[in-house]
Amino acid sequence: MSFDPATVAAFVDGELDDLTARRIAREAESDPALAAEIARHRALKARLTAHFAPVAEEAVPERLRALLVDARVDTSLADRREAKRARFAPVHWGAIAASLVLGLTIGLKPWLPAADVTSANGTLVAAGPLARALDTQLASNQPADAAVRIGLSFRDKQGRTCRSFEGAVLSGIGCREGERWTLERALRGEGRRDYRQASSGALAADVAAMLAGDPFDAAAERAARDRGWSD
Amino acid sequence: MRFEEELVELLPRLRRFARGLAQSASDADDLCQAAIERALKSREQWQDGTRLDSWMYRITRNLWIDERRAAGRRGVHSPIDEAATQVVGDGAAEVEAGALRGDVDGAMARLPDEQREVVMLVLVEGYAYREAAEILEVPIGTVTSRLARGRETLMHLLGEAA
Repeated sequence: MSFDPATVAAFVDGELDDLTARRIAREAESDPALAAEIARHRALKARLTAHFAPVAEEAVPERLRALLVDARVDTSLADRREAKRARFAPVHWGAIAASLVLGLTIGLKPWLPAADVTSANGTLVAAGPLARALDTQLASNQPADAAVRIGLSFRDKQGRTCRSFEGAVLSGIGCREGERWTLERALRGEGRRDYRQASSGALAADVAAMLAGDPFDAAAERAARDRGWSD
Repeated sequence: MRFEEELVELLPRLRRFARGLAQSASDADDLCQAAIERALKSREQWQDGTRLDSWMYRITRNLWIDERRAAGRRGVHSPIDEAATQVVGDGAAEVEAGALRGDVDGAMARLPDEQREVVMLVLVEGYAYREAAEILEVPIGTVTSRLARGRETLMHLLGEAA
């Protein structure tokens, strides 16, 4: 036999280049020892293949399949959570707050804690603790643990006095109209610390867009309060 | 196709490979389970467009090797290994070969791990030498020499000698 065992094995495994493979096949026709060696290798391979083939034909156990099917369920759950988060993005919170408030107002349930917002003639206005904070609290002199923190006070382009505020539930901008604070902006509050920056940033941008002149300094803020927020 | 769907399609072949490595059906499925869990956990390491089957075979094989080494450190030897040592020690290899004629599982169990895995990949799973070398992360020459030794032992034990 002029071929070493490794070459014969490689022939059976289909690892030889075409030229060498043809030479072996041709030589095996006239070399019984080589032919027998090839047959021996083929027989082993056929035997192993036949022995293990039924395993691949078995039904896959449910405990293995479930790992991958469950993984798919998990993924779609994650997708649903993602969709849910998107639906409740801060931009929608104004509308949600409005509908909540309308529900409270229509229900007129005096035993509920005082709401921060109510509606008057179709617009949202500050109520309860929020209205008191906007009425009396000074940005320059407010308790560190105040439920509502006043941001900027300023005169807007319509000539109204407006104040931005941030609270656990609701943040926004209220503008003085008569005896009320009309809510010009309402965002989800900063109850979650990681929302604080976004909400502050959004409010600051809104203030900048509404602003006529400069925001009040501490003295102007105090003077405006003492005038009852009207000219 | 989705990652999980491709894995599901691969499961029958992977179970076959695991059966050849781990021998018992339940150990093999435990090995498959561990491999699937590992794959799901490290799926970002699989590069889209590369062969998922090779990647899964490598994970499976590496877990099996880890398991074997851990068992070796614990001093756990499979009864089959001890029996083989004993028979060979008695110089009764021919008796053993006769007893094993037709017992592919018994013959595979007597192969050293590094020969068994190559035999499974090339002779049963049909991988090319180069692909087997990539899965096992060894040079091609290592694959061919281990394969040759494994083949000779199997032929001897199974009575395939010409």
